[in-house]
This record gives sequence, structure tokens and C-alpha cells, in this order.
Amino acid sequence: MKSLRRDLSSNPQAQNVTSKIFVRSTKSGKVQKIVRELYLRQDIPCSSKLCSVCPSVAPADANGNITPFVLSEQPAGTKAFPRGHYLVPDTNALLNGMDLFEHTGAFYDVIILQTVLEELRNQSLPLYNRLLSLIKTDEKRFYLFFNEFRLETHVRRGPDESINDRNDRAVRAVAKWYMGHLLSTAKKSKKERSIPAIVVITDDKENLRKSKEENITALSLTDYVSGLEDSDRLLDMINESREAREAKGARGELFYPEYYTMSKLQTGLRAGTLHQGVFNVSPYNYLEGSVNVPAFDKPLLILGRDNSNRAISGDVVVIEVLPKDQWKTPSTKLVDEEAVTKNDNPDAEDNEAVVTERERKALQEEVKKAHGKNSEGRPQPTAKVVGVMKRNWRQYVGHVDSSSAGSQTSSSRRQQNVFVLPMDKRVPKIRLRTRQAADLMGQRILVTIDAWDRDSRYPTGHFIRSLGELETKGAETEALLLEYDVQYKPFPKAVLDCLPAEGHDWRVPASKDDIGWKGRRDLRDLLICSIDPPGCQDIDDALHARPLPNGNFEVGVHIADVSHFVKPNNAMDLEASQRGTTVYLVDKRIDMLPHLLGTDLCSLKPYVERYAFSVLWEMTPNAEVVSADFTKSVIRSREAFSYEKAQKRIDDPKQTDELTESMRTLLRFSKILRQKRMDAGALNLASPEVRIEADNDEVGDPLADVKTKAMLETNSLVEEFMLHANITVATKIYSTFSQTAMLRRHATPPPQNFEELINQLTKKRDLRLDVSSSRALADSLDRCVDAQNPFFNTLVRILATRCMTSAEYFVAGAHAESEFRHYGLASPIYTHFTSPIRRYADLLVHRQLASAIGYEGEDGRAVVEGVMTRNRLEDICRNINYRHRNAQFAGRASIEYYVGQALKARGEKMAADGVDGGIEEEGYVMRVFENGVVVFVPRFGIEGVVRLEDFVLPKDAALRTVAERRELVVRRQSDFDSEEYTLRVSDKGDADQAHGVSVELFQKVNVNVSSVKEEGGRGAGKRRVRILILGQGA
Amino acid sequence: MPLDTSTTYPLTKLRLDGRRWNELRLLQAQISTNPASSGSSYLAMGNTAIICSVHGPAEGRRGDASGGSAGSSGAVVEVDVNVAGFAGVDRKRRAGGSDKQSSRIGTILRSAFQSHLHTYLYPHSTISIHVSVLSADGSLLAAAVNACTLALVDAGIPMPGLLCACTAGMSGSASTPRDPTNDFLDPLLDLSLPEEQELPFLTVGTTTTVPVGEAAMIHDDEDEMKVSMLTMDSKVHCSYVETMLAVGIDGCKQIREILEGVIKKSARR
Repeated sequence: MKSLRRDLSSNPQAQNVTSKIFVRSTKSGKVQKIVRELYLRQDIPCSSKLCSVCPSVAPADANGNITPFVLSEQPAGTKAFPRGHYLVPDTNALLNGMDLFEHTGAFYDVIILQTVLEELRNQSLPLYNRLLSLIKTDEKRFYLFFNEFRLETHVRRGPDESINDRNDRAVRAVAKWYMGHLLSTAKKSKKERSIPAIVVITDDKENLRKSKEENITALSLTDYVSGLEDSDRLLDMINESREAREAKGARGELFYPEYYTMSKLQTGLRAGTLHQGVFNVSPYNYLEGSVNVPAFDKPLLILGRDNSNRAISGDVVVIEVLPKDQWKTPSTKLVDEEAVTKNDNPDAEDNEAVVTERERKALQEEVKKAHGKNSEGRPQPTAKVVGVMKRNWRQYVGHVDSSSAGSQTSSSRRQQNVFVLPMDKRVPKIRLRTRQAADLMGQRILVTIDAWDRDSRYPTGHFIRSLGELETKGAETEALLLEYDVQYKPFPKAVLDCLPAEGHDWRVPASKDDIGWKGRRDLRDLLICSIDPPGCQDIDDALHARPLPNGNFEVGVHIADVSHFVKPNNAMDLEASQRGTTVYLVDKRIDMLPHLLGTDLCSLKPYVERYAFSVLWEMTPNAEVVSADFTKSVIRSREAFSYEKAQKRIDDPKQTDELTESMRTLLRFSKILRQKRMDAGALNLASPEVRIEADNDEVGDPLADVKTKAMLETNSLVEEFMLHANITVATKIYSTFSQTAMLRRHATPPPQNFEELINQLTKKRDLRLDVSSSRALADSLDRCVDAQNPFFNTLVRILATRCMTSAEYFVAGAHAESEFRHYGLASPIYTHFTSPIRRYADLLVHRQLASAIGYEGEDGRAVVEGVMTRNRLEDICRNINYRHRNAQFAGRASIEYYVGQALKARGEKMAADGVDGGIEEEGYVMRVFENGVVVFVPRFGIEGVVRLEDFVLPKDAALRTVAERRELVVRRQSDFDSEEYTLRVSDKGDADQAHGVSVELFQKVNVNVSSVKEEGGRGAGKRRVRILILGQGA
Repeated sequence: MPLDTSTTYPLTKLRLDGRRWNELRLLQAQISTNPASSGSSYLAMGNTAIICSVHGPAEGRRGDASGGSAGSSGAVVEVDVNVAGFAGVDRKRRAGGSDKQSSRIGTILRSAFQSHLHTYLYPHSTISIHVSVLSADGSLLAAAVNACTLALVDAGIPMPGLLCACTAGMSGSASTPRDPTNDFLDPLLDLSLPEEQELPFLTVGTTTTVPVGEAAMIHDDEDEMKVSMLTMDSKVHCSYVETMLAVGIDGCKQIREILEGVIKKSARR
């Protein structure tokens, strides 16, 4: 019998084969030993442009391309390295300083080792992904060097060597090899003067020592950054958590309970004793969070800092339900973090308790309430956080709390702790160590959270960059975009390369034999027009109607044919699917597609020929659909109307041309369609929206730009036909793609969402809200009217809308057909087809529809373009749902900011004239708390909190400044009736009824709206819209 | 968690084990390893190791359904595949019989060699092949084909040429159509287990007819290569198949040279 052992000596190749052996444990607890082969080689290039050898041996890939060399010939240097340097960071350096490496001011020519990348991936997936995208960009010159596969730099782990020591040794081996390699191979002429130094960056003391022994230049991250220009700013960007942990380890004062171990959490989850869900913080009370879990139909309350145990809004947490005697009703009080903890000192950790006295008081009052008169009420289950499955920390925009910085700030560069107040009220303050506190004051800054340890009351974070001064347009806009994760960077070159080469000169081919006409219908002779908001550049849709010889009408909806220009899976398509939607801010539009397409080539501009995707119906004069047809087409829009212009033209009896007549037909049909929809139970919902007309003149009243959205007949004309087209298309694509059709649904809201509102309406107005079906809800909403208060109905609609779930995109296979329903529109199936320029979902639907009708396209591939796997579509749906939601939030926040600025401008103008600032308006009480109310002001579409001190009582009507009013706080008392939703505010000890103010839910009140800046004290320098209640509305 | 091909390959053009796209793993083989059989071989492609032994041609068993009529025109090939319990990462206890994977490999091997061998020379007889997988690390079917070829050569069973097999995969998002303007997808040769789990791949087997008789006199450089086996279990867009096939066939060529070397070396001894 022969020996079967590998005989490696005879095979010359085999000497370069080694193996990597590691042990891993699976989820189920099994231990696996993995053996992988490693083929060591010598053709892995050093990627330095200095090298004369590597370019000749660098191997090509399957397409014959050689990866271009990355590292510069003349890398940047510092004082210590005048000839420039290549950096070789180890894993810890990247863990602590990823923001530094991403910084555009420093850190060029970096060699990332395979060893380091792999270790980083095990430690932190987000950082790994950020590093990968750094490597992919060209400008930072990061090179991924696969050192483990290079014969010279491969390191075998010694018998007693820890894995960390081995990896450190690998880093040193690479540094050594690079030095020798560059010395011997650098191009002769330059050899003498300009061989860059190889600098290892490591924070490991042992590694630093050994490097010194081996004559390798090694620096700690801090030391290296100190040698750079602008070091103060860069030093702040180093992750704090590690250092801090080491420094404080000995003190060992722990404020928070420890999390359960992972195995305990998992056992608990499986057994049903623990629950998992997303932690949400109430916008009115930062101490109250809630978690929705499947086991309970109402969200579980999490009260107080020790129960929420370091969870931050958005984290996926594991919770344990508290015993029944600790169940409470949700808070009836407004609690603002800034107010309660304004005196906390960022430096003093010693005498901190988790729950300060003030916080305890704030909570205790609620306990009283729960056991007091309201005891027959419905205490809700409460819970505490016992573990965090996934942190959803992102980068937060905020500003430095000026009161938290020491007084000696102005001159010294001493490192100190300051608090950053995030813009998002639900996020706690973040402790920041910085040397540049003075510079950061009054700036919008971007920070990130590094850690939240048991021994720290607040999370610690580090500074990333400054966006600019507070309240400047640029800084605030960027802050908004960052806060809502909108991708606003200009389109990269790869995307722009996908645009048609002709640019703005692109035309529909003149000859019908051209390939572009293949499968397209010529609809250029139809009288098509578009109706959009004024100033609209990206015209998605156009319409026409014409009588047919048989007495019926042909009605057409024509949508920009974006899918002709955006082919699947190219860079532009991927970018668009990332962005998901165009984001509209007051003064800015962040496009989903490059400008050229969105506002020119795809846009259905008047008087020019454009490609379109048309839906054509034959309708009877009663708007009954006889047949529907879909086709790619070429159209020429006759006119682009604004809503007002279209309305005027329709209303003008003198206009009798064909185009106007067709618009009248459309309007007539749209009214019938709308009525049908309403009869089917569609909801007429309201959202508190205002529109800003940005073309303001400097002289006029800045507030004149703020307009509530007017609803013209023509608005609903367009809307009805778009809805109708969407529904028709949804049916068509679902019949072809029963598993992968891209649809949109609006789930029926669970009745318990409406409980609170039903209760309020019954108590205050004796109105009944029937939520058994959308039809019943629509009818009962119609009945919610108050003769004295015409806005009441809208108010109820706004509140009802908030009780509902939001609509979402989904893939047909993900839900049963009965779940496809769009609740709000009362349609059994729905999708988005009509705005492909600004929504990615519509683009996908276009491809699916093209495929469904057998359109082949220029290259005959359009049929397959619509076909996608369900998994991929589900990923896309998840992303666009998220982007869609964020885009809405960003738009609203932008309007809110603009209203604030307009109020400020007005205030300043008035102040100059010697008149008191603020404008008097009507407001409506939306919520009543124990120590304040939430008021909605329809004129500006804003809602704001009114605290006790902001109730203007007859006695103190003259006091208007912030400081004066603040002094009133201590004297105020309130009488709150949570059953009746009323709040009575009066001065302490003053029993006279006439001196108090009493407000109740849904009440109309007169308010004074102004923009004020906080002077001194908490949140100094922060501007907010202040609402004063002047008295009951007439 | 180790790195994976899909993220790092586009950056470095190096695979998980340090190979380039067109490199085979280290292939080592011996023949006549088991003197008790008619022919036997041991073959290792990377960490995939297989021993194979051939018995026969022997008289067809009575009572065998195929022994009677089907065997009358030529020999019947029987293949028995056994994947050892310790071959994979997890130690599996196999309670007798064969599992899905090994019976599938067996079926493919049987149909491949049934048509490949000159079975008409041995009517009413059976050629039985036993394949034992000692260690499985990807390209199992391809390695088994190569091991069988060697064992059959060792047994002296006539065939038109060596049947060599190899796998080829495609990295990147190969399930969507190919975009000619902007295509960064790369084919890979001879996949290891982690790559197989990640990427779509196919197994291709080719034969190059050894010239005999007069044809042998005419020295002809042009290889007359014939694809005699092709299987693919994963989904891949049709526009990539051609590239993958070309890479796989190229790999088969390399393997044939190695196997020929092994055979010639053992003949010399």
C-alpha cells in the first residue's frame, strides 16, 4: 500500500502553499475547525507609483485590465517626515479614528492590510463598510494590500503567540518589506531624495516598543495627528471611549444596571419572558420611551433613565415587563431634557446619580396620578431595558450647550468636556471632549456617539465636523439633510457618464424608422397639456381627452419615459435606487436623477417632442372605463399650465378652443371619478401643510410667503387621473408578475390606535367616530363639525391621520392578496406609476409594465429589464420606504425652519420700528398636558408647546420678554383634569376666577407667535418659535 | 468572520485563498494506490481529496435488472459514492445508505462514464467504480470525475481519451443581465467551498480524443476537444454562461496536462 500523504517536495509550486487554520463557533454553539489553503505569491504589487518592478509583474484580471497603481509618487509629509510618508494603520487606529481617515485634510496614501481589514470586519461591520468605500474612492489613495498572500509578508502564528501579537507582527513585517522594497526598486533618478517613509500607526504600547527595536517608524494615532497642521481640530475626532475607559476603570462607579448576557437574552426571548423591539422616545417627554412588541397590542412604556438603561431612540432593545403594580398611565406632563438637567456639569462625574432629584420628582408626580383619581383608568404595562441587540447610532447634528463649557474657554486650548444638544429632541445630550470649545460655540456641528458605559450618565462621543454657524442657511440646510439621511452630494462621474452623450441637444429621432421609434406609438397630434404647481421643472405627467366617433371619450395619461434613459444596474440606476426619491426643501431640491434628465430630457416640457409612457382609456360620458391600453409613445405637450392658470382657463367662458374643451372634459370626468372613490369609502385626510413661495421681495412682509395650500379643482383633476392610472397599472403588472409586482399598500389601522381620539371626541364634543371600516370612518369624519369652529373638522382629520399607519411599498409576493388594500384610497390594489422622475418605485413599475406589455425597446432587452428577483426587490422596497419617510420629514422640517426664519425677520423689522415682536393668530389646542398644552397654528402649519409661563394672564400681559416670563414659572399653578382634558392656569394663591385662564382640548385660542432666542441659562443661543396664549378665541 | 470574495475580489483581484482568477488549486494525484482493485487512484485538488477504485470489467450479476438485456450490448457502469462523515466541516453521522448529494454525484458520474468508456467491448459485464470522498472543499464533482478517469486508466479500460472536469464560477451579481458598457464581472476557475457557497458555478468535463492509427501519424496541434459533461445547479443569467464555459474548458485543458503527467510518471516506474 502506498502512502497517500502529500508529497510536497517534488512539486515546486507546492512550496508556496500553506494553510490557515482557525476555529469558529456557530450560532447553535458548535465549534468548527476550518482549514483553508493559502497560495502565497510574489506578484501582488506594492501599488506605489515609485516602484519600477511591480508594474511589470502585476497580473491582469479576466478582462485583461491591470489595476492602476494608487500610492502617489510624492506623498504628503509632515514636519517629521519631509520626504512624505505612506501610512500603515493597525486595526485599533482605524477603530478609534475612522473619522480622521475619512477627513479630507489629511491621511492620504494609506496602505490598508488584509489582516487589518479582516480584523476590523470582525470588530465592527459599519466601520468595515466605511473603510471599503474609502478604498474604492480614488482621491484618498487608499490601497488594500493583501499581505497574507504575499510570500515575503506572510506571517505564521507562533505556538505561544496571541492572535493580536501575530497581527501586530504582520503589520510590522509589511512595514519592513515596504521599506526594503521601495529602496531597491524605486526609479533610479529619484532614489536618493524621495523615498517616502513607512509609518505604522498603532495605539498598542507593546507594538510601538517592538517597532522601535526593529527600526520601524511607528507612532500612536494621537502622536501622529499632533504633528499635523490643524491638529487641535483633528485630535477631537479621535474616538474617546477607549481612553476614557482606561482612565476611569479604577473608579468603578456604576450608574446603570448591567445588560443581561447574550445567551440569557436569547433564552428569554425564546421563552417569551423577554421581548424585543425598537425603542422610541416620546417627543414630549424625554424620560418616557415606548417599545412596540408583538405580544402586547399597546406599546410598552419605559419610564425613566434607569429603566431605559442607556438605550437611545432607534436602538433595537430587549425588554422585561415590570410587575403589574408598577404599571402606569402614559405621561401627562411635558418634560424637556434641557430644562430638567440644565445644571449638570459635564466634568463632574463623582456626585452623579442616575436619577437626579429633579428627575425623580418629575416622575413621582406621575405615579401619583396613576394611583390617584384616575385609578379606574387604564394603566399601561411598563418595562425595563435589559439588553441592546443592535445600536442604531448614527451621526447626530447638534450644537454645544454654551452653559456647559467653562468660563475660561475663550483663550485656553485646554481640553475640556462639553455637552452637545442634538437637534433631535429624543436623543440625550452627548458628552464631548474638545480643545476647541470656544470655536465650536454657536456652530452647527456633527458628532457621533462612541460609547455609553455603565459609569457614565450621558453617552460620550466625538466631534466630526462643523457645518457652519447656527442659523445660517447653508449650515441649517445641511444639518437637515444629514439628520434625515438624505444623500446630497453631487452625482459622481460614473453616474454622469450614463447620461446620453448629446446632453441638452438630445432630440426625439426625426425619422420614424429610427430604432428609438421601435414599439412607440405616435401621439404627437393629440392635444396634450400638463398641469403642475407653479415653477415646476420636472414635469412627470401630462393629460389629454378627446371625443371618439362612437360618443365615448379617449382619455390619456402620459408619463415621462424615464426607463428609456435609466437602464437597470448601471451606476445611475444604482444611485437612484439608493436615493429613492427626490427631496424637496423650501429653497432646494435634491434630485434623484441628474439635472439633465429630470428637468430636460425626461420632463414633458411643452412645445417639444418627448418620449412618454401612456395609459389610454376609452370612457363613456359617465366616466365608466370601457377599455384600458398601455403603450410607449412620443408626445408633444401643447402647454404647461400651473394649477391657477388651468383653473382660470377652464372658468373663462370665452375660451372655446379644443384644448380648453378637453380640459373641461377632464375636469368633468375627474369629478365623477372622485365621487366614485368617495362612495367607495376613500378618506379625505388632512395634514398641516403650508407652502412657501420663495420668490419673496426683500421689502415686503416675510410672512407673506407662507401660504396655506389652496386646493383648486384642477389640483384634484390631476390627482384623480393619476390615482386612476396608478390603479390601472397596478392591476396590469400584478396580472403579469404575481410574485414580484411592485405595489403600494396602506394597511388598515388597528382600532386601538383610535381609542384615545374616540375618547376625546366623545368627552368633549359628544361625537362618535366609527372606525370599523374606511367608509364608516370617512362618513363619521364628515359628521365631525362644529358650527362655531370651521377648522375643527380639519383638526380632527389631522389627528385621525396620525392614528393611522403609513403607506408602504411592497413586493406582491410578500403579502396575501387581501392585504394589498390601500385603506386611505379605498382601492383594492395600488402602486406608484406617475412620477418616475422623482420616485424610484415608479421607475421600477415602468420597467415592469413595459415588460408586461411586451415592449422590446431599442435593443430588445426591455422585456427582461422588468424582471427582478423578489429578494432584490424587497431590499429596494425597504430602502425606498425609508427614504420616502425621511424625505417627508426633511421637507416638513425645512418648512418649519423657514417659518421660524420668517418670524425672526419680521420680529427684527418690527423691533426696528419700536413695535413689540410677534404676530397674533388663531390656534387650536391639540393636546393637554399637566403643565402645558400643544397648540396648532394653521396659518403657519406649526405646532408648539405652550408652558405654564407662556399663558398670558390678565395681570401680566405687559411682560413679554423671555427672561421676564421665565420668572413667572415659580408663581404659576395649574389645575389639570385628565378626564375632561382641561387645564386651568392661574397664579399661586390667587383664587379669583377672572384672573386665571382655562383651556380645553380642541379649543380655539388666540396666540401670539414669535421667534425668540434664548439668552443665557439653558440652551443659550438656540432659537425657537414661541407661542403665547392670549386667551380664548372668539 | 473572514472576508468574502464578492467584496474584496473587485479591489485586489485576489481570491480568498490567494489565487488569481485563472489558477487551479494545487492538484496532486497518484494511481495504483490500492493493489486489491483492478485500478485505483488518489486525487487531491486543494483540500478536496478523493480515493477511487475500479473493479471489473466483471461478469454481470444475476438478478440485476439491468444485467440481462441492457448489458447485452456492452458493459454496465456502476458508481458508488461515499462521502466520509469527517469530510466536511461538521462531522456527520451517516446512517447507512447515501444522502442526496452523494447519490446525485453518483448518477452524474455513471451517465458520464457509461457513454464515455468503450463499453461495447465488454458485453454482459459490469464495471463498478467506488468513490470515497475523504475531504470536501469544493469542486467535488469535478475532482471525482478526474479521480475516476485516473482509476479507469489504471484498470486498463479503453476510452477515447481522458475525461477531465473542472468548475468555473462568476463573481459579482451574475443573476442580472450583463451590461456591455459597464461590466466588472469576473469569471473564476476551480472554486473552493466558500466560493461555491457564495457564487454561481458550473462543472464542465471535456474529452480530447487520443489520436489512434493513421491519425496518430499526422501531427496535429489542433486539439479536438469535446465537452462531454456539463452541469449547473445555480442560477446565472444566460449572458454569462459562455464566459464561464470558456474559462472552465480552459481549466480542463490544464487538468488534462497534469493528469497525463501523473499517468506517464507511473508508467515509467
